Amino acid sequence: MKMFKRITIAALSTVAAVGFTFGSISSTKAASSNKIVVAGSTALLPVTQQAAKEFKRSNPKVSISVSGSSSVAGPQSVLRGSATIGAVDWDATKSVPGFSAFKGLKAHKIAVIPFATIVNKSNPVKNLTSSQLQGIFSGKITNWKQVGGKNATIVVVNRKFGSGTRVNYQMKALNGKSFMTKGNYKEVGKSGEMVTSVSTNPNAIGYVDLAYVKGNIKAVNFNGVAATTSNVINGKYKVWSYGYLVTKGNPTGANAKYIKYVQSSKFQNGSLKKLKFIPVSKMK
Amino acid sequence: MAKIEYELQEPKLLINKDKIVKEKVYVQNQLFKIFCLLSVLFLGFILLSIIVFIGKTGLLVFKDVSLKEFFFSTTWEPFEEKYGAASFILGTLELTGLTLLLAAPISITVAIFTAEIAPNWLKKILRPILDLLVGIPSIVYGYLGLTLLIPFIRKVTGTMMGDGLLAAAIVLTIMVLPTISRISDDAITAVSSELREASYALGATRMQTIFRVVIPHASSGVLTAIILGMARAIGETMAVVMVIGNTPQLATDLLTPTAVLTSNIVNQIIDVEFDSTWNYALYMMAFLLLILSNVLIFIIRKLRTKGV
Repeated sequence: MKMFKRITIAALSTVAAVGFTFGSISSTKAASSNKIVVAGSTALLPVTQQAAKEFKRSNPKVSISVSGSSSVAGPQSVLRGSATIGAVDWDATKSVPGFSAFKGLKAHKIAVIPFATIVNKSNPVKNLTSSQLQGIFSGKITNWKQVGGKNATIVVVNRKFGSGTRVNYQMKALNGKSFMTKGNYKEVGKSGEMVTSVSTNPNAIGYVDLAYVKGNIKAVNFNGVAATTSNVINGKYKVWSYGYLVTKGNPTGANAKYIKYVQSSKFQNGSLKKLKFIPVSKMK
Repeated sequence: MAKIEYELQEPKLLINKDKIVKEKVYVQNQLFKIFCLLSVLFLGFILLSIIVFIGKTGLLVFKDVSLKEFFFSTTWEPFEEKYGAASFILGTLELTGLTLLLAAPISITVAIFTAEIAPNWLKKILRPILDLLVGIPSIVYGYLGLTLLIPFIRKVTGTMMGDGLLAAAIVLTIMVLPTISRISDDAITAVSSELREASYALGATRMQTIFRVVIPHASSGVLTAIILGMARAIGETMAVVMVIGNTPQLATDLLTPTAVLTSNIVNQIIDVEFDSTWNYALYMMAFLLLILSNVLIFIIRKLRTKGV
């Protein structure tokens, strides 16, 4: 008897709890001012995470969650409604090779992301030209000897389709040349996995945004120019892109405040710079 | 007189009380029965709708892609509208087979050891350790595979990458080993001691007893264990995706980077558009996995009814 009563009560309370939760969600959705969900680019993840940390300090009532999977997931989850802000490494309101424009979105420029070609620290190669990179990533150059390194097979590590880093690297470093898909080639999901793969394989080559270059990997010069923030600013280093936050229409409430905070000169010249990104205002 | 009245009243009341209690119990039982039935129906409905949803979404792929291309082409280039899943299907089967080839002998030996040979105090240590191994999240195995196993394979074999079927099979072997060995352990322990004693009485050695009497008797349980391990190996995603290489090509040897159904689905499902052929193709691959594991469960059922 007691057992049964308990079960009934438990079931009823579960139903009530679920009902109330969903009810409250649907009722607050219109207001949706205290909830920020950021999804998308892993290249921008250091920025969005740091900004969230600081934003929370001054706005403790706002609930904010930040995650990263790949750039295209940003605008897609905003359109689907599972995120309020999407982080993406290209202007998602315009079409880029491989992706058409996302309609109904508004893009907010928040950072300049420099991308770097990376190899293992033990690799003696210091400089690669654009045409050498095209050869390597399309599978025509297969040995490090051909570009001035040791006699060893090149292992190409690529980001999977949907990555904004991949889109930008292909556009700017490889001039749109397509990637190989077979042979000594592997694909990884996120920026962090790219770093792990290159740092554990002495013959690997990959690319990642400058914020991730540390530890057992090093950035290779591109056409004789070092991948540094100052070279991006003075226009010598070409492999970079703007990072964007996208929202469905104009942002409201906490979401607007968060984007404003990321764009504020305090954050741009402070934490953003420390993370090896470049403030938007520095580019002309 | 008063006494008689009193005696007459007492049994009447008792009967009434009894009846009420009985009725109450009956109602409760019925209600509980309905509650249980509803729960089961609810579960069945959810399961069925999952299967129907995945199947329905998956089958949409055949509007744009021919059956022949999907199942027999190895060219997976979704941005060029080429959806050949053959290399993933084959890769999944190869990986599962290789895993079993590595895992089954080792884990059955472990099971024989814990069930028959190890002294009691060692059994008490070994069994909880195996149970703990089951609880380690698969992503941890994957990360260890990526950072320790792959550089090790590269050093030993002298290949360039190390990613591929071998690395994935080794990681999966470590993952399914406790599952298979614990269940076979139970099956072997369940063999009645009369059989062993009879065997010893006939003059058989311990080795002969184990291999000629105990193992054949526990074989259906051991087979169930292997199939359960296989089901886990087929569905495993997080560990595999980190060590397989994710290159959509047929593996020519154990050290070629390749891809399997699970790793391909988990890698791409977030990034594809909702209503695209690509998305449907991934759902179809998920449906194939579902069918594969259901076939395995079906085989287990058959074995169970036949066996001990």
